[in-house]
Amino acid sequence: MDNVYKPELMEVLDVHQHTADVKSIRIKFKDPGKANDFSFRVGQFGMFSAFGAGESTFNICSSSNWKDFLEFCFRKTGKVTDVLWRLDPGDTIGFRGPYGNSYPMEEWEGKNLIFIGGGIAMPPIRCAIWYALENRDKYGGVTVVYGARTVGDFVFADELDQWAEKERTRVIRCVDPGGETPDWPYEIGLIPHVIEKARIPADNAVALVVGPPIMIKFTLPVLDKMGLAAKDVYTSLENRMKCGIGKCGRCNCGPVYVCKEGPIFTLEQLTQLPQDY
Amino acid sequence: MSQTLSHEDLLKLVDGCLGQGKVVAGPTLVKPDLCAYAALRASDQLVLKDFIHPANSIKGFFFPRHEPICVYRLNGNDVELEDVDPPKTEQIIIGVRPCDAAALPILDHVFNWDYADKFYNERRENTTVVTLACTDYDDNCFCTSVGLGPAAEKGSDAMLLPLGDGGYEVRCFTDKGKALFEGKTTPSDKTGSASEGPARKIDVKWIEEALEDDYENPAWKTISLRCLGCGACAYNCPTCHCFDIVDEGDAAGGLRVKNWDSCQFGQFTVHASGHNPRANQGQRQRQRIQHKFRIYPEKFNEILCTGCGACTRNCPVALGVLNTLEALRAAAAPDTSEVG
Repeated sequence: MDNVYKPELMEVLDVHQHTADVKSIRIKFKDPGKANDFSFRVGQFGMFSAFGAGESTFNICSSSNWKDFLEFCFRKTGKVTDVLWRLDPGDTIGFRGPYGNSYPMEEWEGKNLIFIGGGIAMPPIRCAIWYALENRDKYGGVTVVYGARTVGDFVFADELDQWAEKERTRVIRCVDPGGETPDWPYEIGLIPHVIEKARIPADNAVALVVGPPIMIKFTLPVLDKMGLAAKDVYTSLENRMKCGIGKCGRCNCGPVYVCKEGPIFTLEQLTQLPQDY
Repeated sequence: MSQTLSHEDLLKLVDGCLGQGKVVAGPTLVKPDLCAYAALRASDQLVLKDFIHPANSIKGFFFPRHEPICVYRLNGNDVELEDVDPPKTEQIIIGVRPCDAAALPILDHVFNWDYADKFYNERRENTTVVTLACTDYDDNCFCTSVGLGPAAEKGSDAMLLPLGDGGYEVRCFTDKGKALFEGKTTPSDKTGSASEGPARKIDVKWIEEALEDDYENPAWKTISLRCLGCGACAYNCPTCHCFDIVDEGDAAGGLRVKNWDSCQFGQFTVHASGHNPRANQGQRQRQRIQHKFRIYPEKFNEILCTGCGACTRNCPVALGVLNTLEALRAAAAPDTSEVG
């Protein structure tokens, strides 16, 4: 019988520092057979090991179209991420996954996509943005609204320019008031206000909103006002997990195990759940 | 015709199994006045009378408190992983209370949905569970309220029912049970008996309904005011199965281990951001009761509680499932006290 808790060994290919405390890491399977067999869907997550420190849960933030490597992104905030922070290309980490459900990218075909992210929440949106832009014909307009506290807090900032150049794609970036520099050419303001001002068409649209609870709380009423139904607003929950496979008993929101039935939920589903997130 | 076995022959059977290198466990006095399930060195350590329920449960023989799941070796920027296999030793647990054995088929679900936990499954395969029907009960027992009873067969490979003369009637339910007692028992016309068990104390239907929309019930806070969050309820519970995964080692390597954990601990659900969805003990008590009586039944059609009462017996402030549910029911009842 297989050991479901045993990670696969991964080689670190590249490390990219985005902000003072956020890095993303590109990894590949050491075992070529595993690399060939592996596939995932955007929105799924993995358990990433820094051996000696432990395992942590991160979204796989690369597109599922990229076959040669995986990427994940983290803020240096605890025991495991302290070790991940010190990794260099050539180092070894562990990976288990993919786990959880995923964005319904097929269901979203033919629709306008609105991606809204705050701060470190861009990675779980980024995989879906790339996936949509790589299958550009299948989707309507793509709008990305990305807000950060200061101009130094954008993650994958260089990719925002690449997205903005794609056809039928609009990128709106904003910083909290006071977080701007004198030469900041983009919006200043909180995400909910910026969305309202941007007059994004909401017909035939779905929105993916990921960010700190406070941002989500104030963004949802704006989306409602725009006319988006609760079933068309998606988010990704980030409850603490240990096993990732429905056994260790900590990620549930009432009757729902986030690791198995999530992490992706619609607002309509979330309103049925207790506030265990 | 029934099959019977004298106490002396049972002890011989235990010594025989020990002699074959098998692990034999059962209720034993781990300290004077403290009866708990533990591995035996000799049959004279086995205690089969004068206790209601051992302090702990038998889950540790299937899902140990601390269990290596793989070995890692750090070598420069390379890592070597080595698989760990659970011990293949045959285990026999004798004198198990029916409420503890009943937990095993219940736990089988969670350790096997989608992903099968080989550590649990292999131990389960290698273990024979011999229950001892209850002849007595105490105030904390409530097996009859959750569909079980003093001679419930669920999870048993064989059952011993005490006879008046110190021997047992032996009933075998599975091939493992039959194999253990094959040729050891004597046909007899005597039958063992169990107690009637405690009167039904809680109505499971009521609990399920009461928990339906119960997330904001202020009663949780009042009930849990005296809870210390020590987790004794969960650790001694036959069905609680939450665990943590951590690395234990040094600069050269170490073990990745599964350790028991509990939803009653404050840090159990803390996010990396510091946000804690279950920040107070009331929410954590609610989670434990909800998991047992609503979430698990919804997922697997079984209540995650066998009515053993270990949570209450081990609780330093007399909480536990039964008292919590009774407090919840009292909070829900219309206030009939006179005014003025």
